[in-house]
Amino acid sequence: MGAIEVEGLRKHFDPPKGPVAVADVSFQIEEGEIFSLLGSNGAGKTTTISILSCLLKPDSGEARVGGFSVTREPEKVKALIGVVPQDIALYDDMTGRENLLFWGRMYGMSGSTLSKRVDEVLELIGLLDRQKDRLGKYSGGMKRRVNIGAALLHNPRFLYLDEPTVGIDPQSRRSILDKVKDLNAAGVTILYTTHYMEEAQELSHRIGIMDQGTLIALGTQDELVRLVGEQTRIDLALDRDAEILAGRWRDLPGVSSISDPEDGRLFLSTDDANTLMPRLFESARAADARITEISLAEPNLEMVFLHLTGRALRD
Amino acid sequence: MMRALSIAWKDTVHVYRDFAGLAMMFIAPLVLATVLGAAFGSGDNFSIAAAKTVVVDQDAGAGAGMPAAGATLVAALQSPEVGDLLTVTEVDSPEAAREAVDSGDAAVAVIIPPGLSDALTGTAPGKAEIEIYKDPALTVGPSIAEAVAESVVQSFNGSRAAAAAAARLAVAQGLTGNAQIADIATKTAAVVAMEARDDAQITLEQRNPVVAGAEKEKRPNVASQVLVGMMLFFMLFGASVPARSVLDEHRNGTLSRLFTTPTRRGVILGGKFIAVFVVVLVQAIILMLAGWLLFKADWGEPGPVTALLVCSALVAASLGLVTVSFAKTPGQAGAVSSAIFVFLGLVSGNFTGTIVTSGPFATVRRVSPIGWLMEGWSKVLYGGSWASIALPVLVTLGFAVVLFAVSVFFFRRRYA
Repeated sequence: MGAIEVEGLRKHFDPPKGPVAVADVSFQIEEGEIFSLLGSNGAGKTTTISILSCLLKPDSGEARVGGFSVTREPEKVKALIGVVPQDIALYDDMTGRENLLFWGRMYGMSGSTLSKRVDEVLELIGLLDRQKDRLGKYSGGMKRRVNIGAALLHNPRFLYLDEPTVGIDPQSRRSILDKVKDLNAAGVTILYTTHYMEEAQELSHRIGIMDQGTLIALGTQDELVRLVGEQTRIDLALDRDAEILAGRWRDLPGVSSISDPEDGRLFLSTDDANTLMPRLFESARAADARITEISLAEPNLEMVFLHLTGRALRD
Repeated sequence: MMRALSIAWKDTVHVYRDFAGLAMMFIAPLVLATVLGAAFGSGDNFSIAAAKTVVVDQDAGAGAGMPAAGATLVAALQSPEVGDLLTVTEVDSPEAAREAVDSGDAAVAVIIPPGLSDALTGTAPGKAEIEIYKDPALTVGPSIAEAVAESVVQSFNGSRAAAAAAARLAVAQGLTGNAQIADIATKTAAVVAMEARDDAQITLEQRNPVVAGAEKEKRPNVASQVLVGMMLFFMLFGASVPARSVLDEHRNGTLSRLFTTPTRRGVILGGKFIAVFVVVLVQAIILMLAGWLLFKADWGEPGPVTALLVCSALVAASLGLVTVSFAKTPGQAGAVSSAIFVFLGLVSGNFTGTIVTSGPFATVRRVSPIGWLMEGWSKVLYGGSWASIALPVLVTLGFAVVLFAVSVFFFRRRYA
């Protein structure tokens, strides 16, 4: 039995015309695991995490967290989870410390226990020296760290992080990823949503790939990569007409899948790179275009996503 | 309970760190009260600038031993009773008097004709006319001078009628000589005029409504009458600031985050209600203290005043929440709340103070909880005790409970 069990979850907003945000999603997360939901915007990741946070009620299906039902025992579930929302949900006119004290009280903490825990969390997120500054004066990365800290005060057994690194600088992102790994090492089970393939690859024990409300693949990184077979990824850049050439290459013999170009760059997968590459150069020359960069790489999650959906992850 | 108080504390801190909100809560009503105070004066009476009045007395009198009617009128205009209302200056000629009004140096000129006493005693043929020459753009000052002159003229005419009656009585008793009758009439008129001025038998006395249950008859001062309407009106706006925090938090994502904690939704809304209540209660106390210090407002008996203060805060808090519960965004809430509050202010008589205590308007305003509060405050200001405010207190508490229930219903439905 998993620590988090999701079975046949479905959520349809504003039926019958509204979108089906989550359609028959099932998965399990084991105790002590980092489980990532990977998918582009609108894939249904946030809806899934909202149901598991007791914010939304599913139309059908069931989810249990720590053995408690999210629909029938929400208060017990809420006591076990810490939720880091996608957008920063804090009070700008309060100091970092005041914010943490407030959120701690919302989890039923008080007195010296709370004060001590706030000190610990401030140290953990590296903001002990800025605790008396109002949040409005913090940088985006610092706010993100407080956003995470507010979910850690009550030492949750399960931590949900919904795209916690969106819109922050690389240094802050690195810091957050390291903190997530530290927390997991300390025994916290983590549900992490992202549309950054690299984050999912670096953090996750297992990954669920979501697309248009459906869980289209689930497994470890190695298991998922095996889905695309013994293929090679070719990354290349063109000086012109990338859209036209991508359209032509889609039907070229040996091309398994190809991404949509972005800023003249695209990638494709093939099971025979040696044969395909001369054809690519020839085709580009015929179109009076030039391949300015080309490289070969092992298959990754982005390639898996392309293979499964026909679209790049950033779409 | 601790969680509700934590939410209340957080919302209260938020309000006191928002300068725009504070300005609406404290500065706006105090500025308005200052303006009203400047217009009406502080303390017990209205204060109106004295009207500059010029007077020309061309009346020479009716003869030796007889009082000159012109001098009597001038004395009336210069009497201490109207000293705060009229500043009287005597000039030599009608032309000079009119010139003073035309040039704006005076608001009104009272021109007493040469034969006023003769016309009054009948020693000369014809009638006399006192001319009131006034600036048409002004109303209050000239009206006061005109009223004083009119009262003196009426006194003269009354004296003249009394003299005529005395003369007819003399004729009836056999005194038939013309000289004797004229002498009796003249002297009677003079005596009646003097007595009417010095020893009036009929006087006017201003009284105020006596409130049922009042321990003593009391005349409320203008400041408290005006301020109570302003205070209640701006308490509504004061309540809407923290009440809107529900929508602000929804927009900022903190409300959703609160819902992911083990804090129940009823506790969250309860905490917000406490915050709104505390904020408006503090606002009202500060405004009342400011009214007392700046405008010498006299609020009444402490017990009933405290009861009404708490009721006012409860009603304002409930109204603040219920108006916000209909809105979807903070901006929409601001617009909707303002429209509702202005309407309630108009219906409830917030802009007329507690002066209206009876009549159809006093009945109509009972449709609004603010109208009931105005009624309660009115009774307290007029010296009312616990008994006199019992009904307003009960009704407003009922309104507060119903309004809070309505807001809970809408919030639960929205955030279910």
